[in-house]
Amino acid sequence: MNSSIDLVTVAQLLINGTLLGGLYALIAFGLSVVYGVANILNFAHGTMLAIAAISGAVLYEKFGLPIPVILIILVSFGFVFGWIFYLTLLQPLEKREPHQRTVGMVLVAVGALIIMGDVTAVLAGAEQRVIRVSSTYFEIRGVIISGTQIGILVGAAVCMIALHIFLTRSWTGSSIRAVAQNTIGATICGIDSARTSATTFALGAGIVAVAGLMYIISYPLNPYSGFPLTVKAFSIILLGGIGNLTGTLLAGLALGIGEAVVAFTIGPQWAAAVSILIVLGCLLLFPGLTTSRREA
Amino acid sequence: MNIPQNMISFGVAAVVSVLIACVPLFSSSYTVSLTMTLLLFFVLAQSWDWVGGELGYVNLSHFAFYGLGAYVFSIAYSNDLHPALSLFLAPIVTALIVSVISVPLFRLRGEYFAFATLALLPLFQILASNLKWLTKGSEGIILPAEQITETAFILMVALAFVTFVASTILVRSPFGLLIRSIRDDEEVAESIGVRILPRKIILMALSAAIAAIAGGIHGWYLSFIDPTTMFGLDVALVPIAMALLGGSALLWGPLVGVIVLVFMNQWLLTNISILHSAFYGLVILLVGRFLPGGLLRSQLLGKVKPLGFLTKEHHEHIVSAGTTIGGLSLSKREPDQDRVALECKNVTKRFGGNTALKDVSIRINEGEIVGLIGANGSGKTTLFNCISRILDLSEGAIVVYGDDIAHLRRDQIAHAGIGRSYQIPRSFERMTVRENITTALMASISPPDYANAKHEAARFAQYVGLADQVDVVVASLSPQKRKLLELARALATSPKILLVDEVASGLTSNEISEFVNHIRELRDVYGLTIIWVEHIFSALSQVVDRVVVLEQGSVIADGPLAEVLENENVQRSYFGAATGGEIEC
Repeated sequence: MNSSIDLVTVAQLLINGTLLGGLYALIAFGLSVVYGVANILNFAHGTMLAIAAISGAVLYEKFGLPIPVILIILVSFGFVFGWIFYLTLLQPLEKREPHQRTVGMVLVAVGALIIMGDVTAVLAGAEQRVIRVSSTYFEIRGVIISGTQIGILVGAAVCMIALHIFLTRSWTGSSIRAVAQNTIGATICGIDSARTSATTFALGAGIVAVAGLMYIISYPLNPYSGFPLTVKAFSIILLGGIGNLTGTLLAGLALGIGEAVVAFTIGPQWAAAVSILIVLGCLLLFPGLTTSRREA
Repeated sequence: MNIPQNMISFGVAAVVSVLIACVPLFSSSYTVSLTMTLLLFFVLAQSWDWVGGELGYVNLSHFAFYGLGAYVFSIAYSNDLHPALSLFLAPIVTALIVSVISVPLFRLRGEYFAFATLALLPLFQILASNLKWLTKGSEGIILPAEQITETAFILMVALAFVTFVASTILVRSPFGLLIRSIRDDEEVAESIGVRILPRKIILMALSAAIAAIAGGIHGWYLSFIDPTTMFGLDVALVPIAMALLGGSALLWGPLVGVIVLVFMNQWLLTNISILHSAFYGLVILLVGRFLPGGLLRSQLLGKVKPLGFLTKEHHEHIVSAGTTIGGLSLSKREPDQDRVALECKNVTKRFGGNTALKDVSIRINEGEIVGLIGANGSGKTTLFNCISRILDLSEGAIVVYGDDIAHLRRDQIAHAGIGRSYQIPRSFERMTVRENITTALMASISPPDYANAKHEAARFAQYVGLADQVDVVVASLSPQKRKLLELARALATSPKILLVDEVASGLTSNEISEFVNHIRELRDVYGLTIIWVEHIFSALSQVVDRVVVLEQGSVIADGPLAEVLENENVQRSYFGAATGGEIEC
């Protein structure tokens, strides 16, 4: 390693980390909303993102559709897919006793992620894909920033804030939060909890589609790179707290910057280990992290 | 006694193993490799089930322990260590690593645990691909070419035999019983005295060690390993799918699942060239969605009588124990009325901004029977939860026979002499009445002989009136019977102080008076100190020495029942206003 790490490099690292971290935060927020409401830790979250992203790349390369059209297609497809997926595969498991429910949820999600990855690899190829869009670059005192990436960061922030406002201000949002906090209580008040959970799951899938498209515009993905993203999102939730917008954002940025620093100082192949070590480290240092919310 | 039964199944397993070991003598190399695959997956699925089925923790990283074993073996062997020594190192190193990472992992439950273990696979894959000096990176390790197929085969047969025998022993041992109590309700298991964490870690390490030996043998057999085959996500879940497909926590479940899936996979390999991972994914998904208990628990199979032995759950081993007449195995003693048994000093418990207990001070002498009353939400159960440390105090101290319990774990509190029942029964659902009580007996500091414990358990069941339900699974008991079981289980921990939480509601008046007699006898004969939360005054009035009244977390009265009921505050608390009238007991 270079012995004198200058200020420009540090600034560049921070900026790259921030740009990636903002995207991580959006991915994690989607996972967190679904977990908070439907009480499902969706193991297939990142894989759904990778599949959406690759579909987007195929639509872009093969059919030459403009990005906004692709976005609309992906989001609507993601929403419908999420809705059907929840109602046919996950909702029926709610009737089981807790242990069997957990096992069922884990198996369905893990099975789905393996199927999705494999089928996509067969249909679209297992290779890395990325959408290349022309971008303007800004240079401030030697630090290079891509216009596209700034656009993506702003987009991620807008999505998260919009989602937050939707959850806190709208009636559907209120019912989602009601179900998250007390399912039985919400049901007594006349909220259809199955429908609310389905809406949330579909919403999560919609967010994943947006995040996937943003992701593949700046970073390459293949059908199997989804699971590491789920791990990252999970580590962010652990750090930032479930359903906590500010916490998720900060934790996302911390992970993005942490990965950039590790990639630079130790080597890029180790960046993926950061999130897993965060998960294990958090558990070791803060035993109360997951028990504080709800008992198993 | 189960020894003859064990011996028969071990004998059968030994004969089958020897027969399998002869396979290479008279069949094609295809059959040998197919049998090898069957054996490998049986070992992995069965050893996974120790943690996944018996302990109830969905460990998704089991395959990584197989990979770890294969790596340890291959690294040691390719550095010129003797193969036997390398094979010995594989489980040792793996078990050590697994013991260390188990500590943070077991802080998680449910899907959180499943997730964190799944995340270990990519971590190990990154390590194996990048620690090139040790693992040769993604190229993998190639072992010297040798004729070891038969040796490896016989070793794998032996390992499969050991795994089967170990599973049988595990299921029928007290260790296995305590493990299953953790599965059914970890918190309750701990508060009747089961030391949880070391048991979980030992079980996980054992299960990982078996997987690691399988990895070592299989690595040797393949003579080539690389990060993708050892830690890849798609293969990693195959043994788990097998165990769950067959029927988790059933003796024959994993084996059935392995046979079904291995043959299905063979068919696929010869007939279809793509989407093998998707096929496994589909099996995993379908098992999760439609077969909660696996094939062997499906209703269809239950109707086929000859296959009944396959569907046997892990209890029902003692039917002949029968009823045993005699007293409880608690030691008889006179209570020392001058000795302070339990003292709550300024106990305060807050939940966020809500103060559930406010500066509660109570002193209870040995042999006293104290009723704890108060309106719903006045903090009675919260106080019990603080004493048994289901909850931590915000302020104050709880002293049991002179010792502050603040620094004790829940199991140590049970050993210090605190036993309790729960208002909403929390029995170990998937166990029988006998097993529930036996768990409490075996969790004591100096547990009795296991066979004796099972007989004693029947006596406790009989004492509370469950003589006819001794070998019934709790899930099929009525709520009232479960409350009685709560009492029996609490007594089996040999408590000095017994906390009884609303047992009488739902019982008939005859049952209540019988219960009251028990309470009196427990004090008079066995010297217990008893705190009884109850709304039914007529039950309390028959036996309590005094009552303590809580209102909104504070003690508003403490004295003999009749006197307390005259108290204006108490009347206001219960009836909204001082009526001055008589309250009938």
